[in-house]
Amino acid sequence: MRKITYIITVLSTLFFASCSSDDDGIDITTCADGVMNGDETGIDCGGGCAPCETAIENPEIYVFFRNGENTVNFSGQTTRIKMGQELLSNFNVPTNSLKKLKGMFAHEEGSDDFEDAFLNASDKSLRSKVAASADYFSTNATDQAMIRTTVDGFISAQVNEVYPNWEVVAAPGTAGQIADGERTRYISGQGLEYNQLFAKSLIGSLMADQMLNNYLSTSVLDEGENVGNNDGGVVEEGKPYTTMEHKWDEAYGYAYGLNTDPSDPNADLGADSFLNEYIERAESDDDFSGVADEVFQAFKLGRAAIVAKKYDVRDEQANIIRENISKVIAIRAIYYLQGGKSKLSLETPNYGGAFHSLSEAYGFIYSLQFTRNPNTEEPYFSKSETEAFLTSLLGDGENGLWDVTPDTLDAISEAIAARFDFTVAQAAE
Amino acid sequence: MKKIFGIICILVIIGACSDDSIGEGEPNPSPGEGERFERSSMLVNWADNIIIPAYTEFSSDLATLKASLEAFQSDVNETNLIELRLSWIAAYTTWQHVAMFEIGPAESLGYQLNMNIYPTDSEKIESFIINDNYDLSLSSNRDAKGFPALDYLINGLGENDAAIVTRYNGTEKEALFAYLNSVVDDMVNLTDSVLSEWTGGYRDTFVANDGASATASVDRLVNDYIFYFEKYLRAGKMGIPLGVFSGSPLPQNVEAYYKGDISKTLFLEGLNAVQNFFNGKSFGSNENGESLATYLNKLNSVKNGEDLALLINEQFDLAREAVLGLSTFIGEIENNNPPTDMLLAYDEVQKVVPLLKVDMVSAMSISIDFVDADGD
Repeated sequence: MRKITYIITVLSTLFFASCSSDDDGIDITTCADGVMNGDETGIDCGGGCAPCETAIENPEIYVFFRNGENTVNFSGQTTRIKMGQELLSNFNVPTNSLKKLKGMFAHEEGSDDFEDAFLNASDKSLRSKVAASADYFSTNATDQAMIRTTVDGFISAQVNEVYPNWEVVAAPGTAGQIADGERTRYISGQGLEYNQLFAKSLIGSLMADQMLNNYLSTSVLDEGENVGNNDGGVVEEGKPYTTMEHKWDEAYGYAYGLNTDPSDPNADLGADSFLNEYIERAESDDDFSGVADEVFQAFKLGRAAIVAKKYDVRDEQANIIRENISKVIAIRAIYYLQGGKSKLSLETPNYGGAFHSLSEAYGFIYSLQFTRNPNTEEPYFSKSETEAFLTSLLGDGENGLWDVTPDTLDAISEAIAARFDFTVAQAAE
Repeated sequence: MKKIFGIICILVIIGACSDDSIGEGEPNPSPGEGERFERSSMLVNWADNIIIPAYTEFSSDLATLKASLEAFQSDVNETNLIELRLSWIAAYTTWQHVAMFEIGPAESLGYQLNMNIYPTDSEKIESFIINDNYDLSLSSNRDAKGFPALDYLINGLGENDAAIVTRYNGTEKEALFAYLNSVVDDMVNLTDSVLSEWTGGYRDTFVANDGASATASVDRLVNDYIFYFEKYLRAGKMGIPLGVFSGSPLPQNVEAYYKGDISKTLFLEGLNAVQNFFNGKSFGSNENGESLATYLNKLNSVKNGEDLALLINEQFDLAREAVLGLSTFIGEIENNNPPTDMLLAYDEVQKVVPLLKVDMVSAMSISIDFVDADGD
């Protein structure tokens, strides 16, 4: 019984502390007496006391309404992910022209680039959002241009190097096809599978960059009149959402744009070939189970915090998302480096399987430059650091991955893991 | 109050402990008791009495197949077509005895997938016949060669034998025979290369690598063996056509689809081969030597108080019995929705998997090195 009394005492102390104010001039007797009196609009708050805070209403799933109308919309992100899917499935169609693939990458409204007529009618484009975040690239047009050139290069190399050798057996220095179990992989003379380079680079350069460094960033969320409008419930013209709400949802869409029920995305995680799939892969490793829920919960609470106008809570959630999405990219980079290493070390090396893994690793390493460390507000690895990794990955001999050594793969893996709170072994399994 | 708290604590602890023991299985008694099992004598039995004799027989079956093809080519008639078909069935049957040994030279060549990927791509085959421009060494052409391509070329080119013979006598005669010969020659070359390495130096390498580690011959071949059972015998011959993995039946994915009525026979031959290997039975005779079964017996392996080797053999027998009771695989799948009898038989086949993959390997301290494919 004594314990219960104690607990009540502690709780009531907390309760009072949360509503009391230290400001001078406020009548302590009414602002801290646990009763709504004086000119208070709530218990011990409002009127002459400290302002009342709106409680955050955190829903079970990602659904938010204003006056009965759904305020969540990220159709632009869904459209871009679909464009990415269609472009990716066209990489291994050797009759495609460079013009066709480039058209799918840098789509223009009304241009007949896709099978899906809806995508053709869209004014969205993948390429225009590559390396395009406000925080990393608004004043860095040089890197932006270089990164876009690199990604363009994956497409043109597929057409110019790999397509002509489609019916050739690959060998060191010779592009062509190579068996990987029942599958056939199509690789460059360096052993690179360009569709993997493209897809995994896009995870960083498009999805993560837009999410972490653009839509979750205060420079975008709080731009212009966004805070005032959100505080006052002023919605965008003809829309049910405030601009700040919408920006947050756009970040959400880059992770969950293709889920069957996007308000409950972890029910069918793995719905695309980009970020969604690799959140799922990280989640399915016991060492990292819970990461998917952490990301989702942070998105949901952050969005609820915007509704409640609690921007500090919002920004804490943004940082949780930044840390975890960055981690997913790093985990997968190491996972594929180590996967490639073990396939090469078999008594009968599985070159096809190893090159497939290492090409995925290549793309994830490239994506590290778009991650974001919440403590430094910088990527976990700079552009030049990621490029140094890639140079060493291909640098053990003149034929790139054909010559790569286990030591090199371990060195890169260790260097990546060193900046995170997990080990190479944890990521590798 | 204190009591309830205490009980909850105990429950939590019990829960935590029992979780650990479930699924791990009881480790077998220590192998130190009784005589030590000699892995090397098992390897010798495998190589000399099973693997090399099976490859030798298979190679000779392919030579017969080639001779039948030449006879058919020199005199295109129904009798010779039937003869060619019988040679194809004979070789396909013996193939079931070598398919599981994807180690050493076979592994380097990707032998299994070069010989028997099905369903075959009949459109690709037809385009190769027309264009006369193909490279059967490309991995992307594996679905246009091997036994399944022969299935199409021998059984699938017409409604009946008369129609097939008519096609072989028609305008494409030369192209058709060129392709048939390319496919058979490719199979002969691959097989000769595997066999000659086994009889050359690989046999000794294989037998000498008699340790107990992930790279030792026993560990590796046991992995290959279980992988074969799970993926090619269970899934390839039954599960995939049944739609176990895709959700809807795929009758066109049975082995020897165009022949239509031998998928079950080929499965049963494969099952016999797998069980014979388990028991160390010499290829083509009733001699038994050191084997996975004798190894388990030496280790005194029991599962729930019963002899593990006996349990495995009983489950092989139950699986065989269930499959024997079926009509043809295509008939079962096409005439029943869902194909309940074949699904029940599949379940009996599936029940062998954990016995091998969990109980047997843990008794032998062998770790499974294969996982599901990456998927993309």
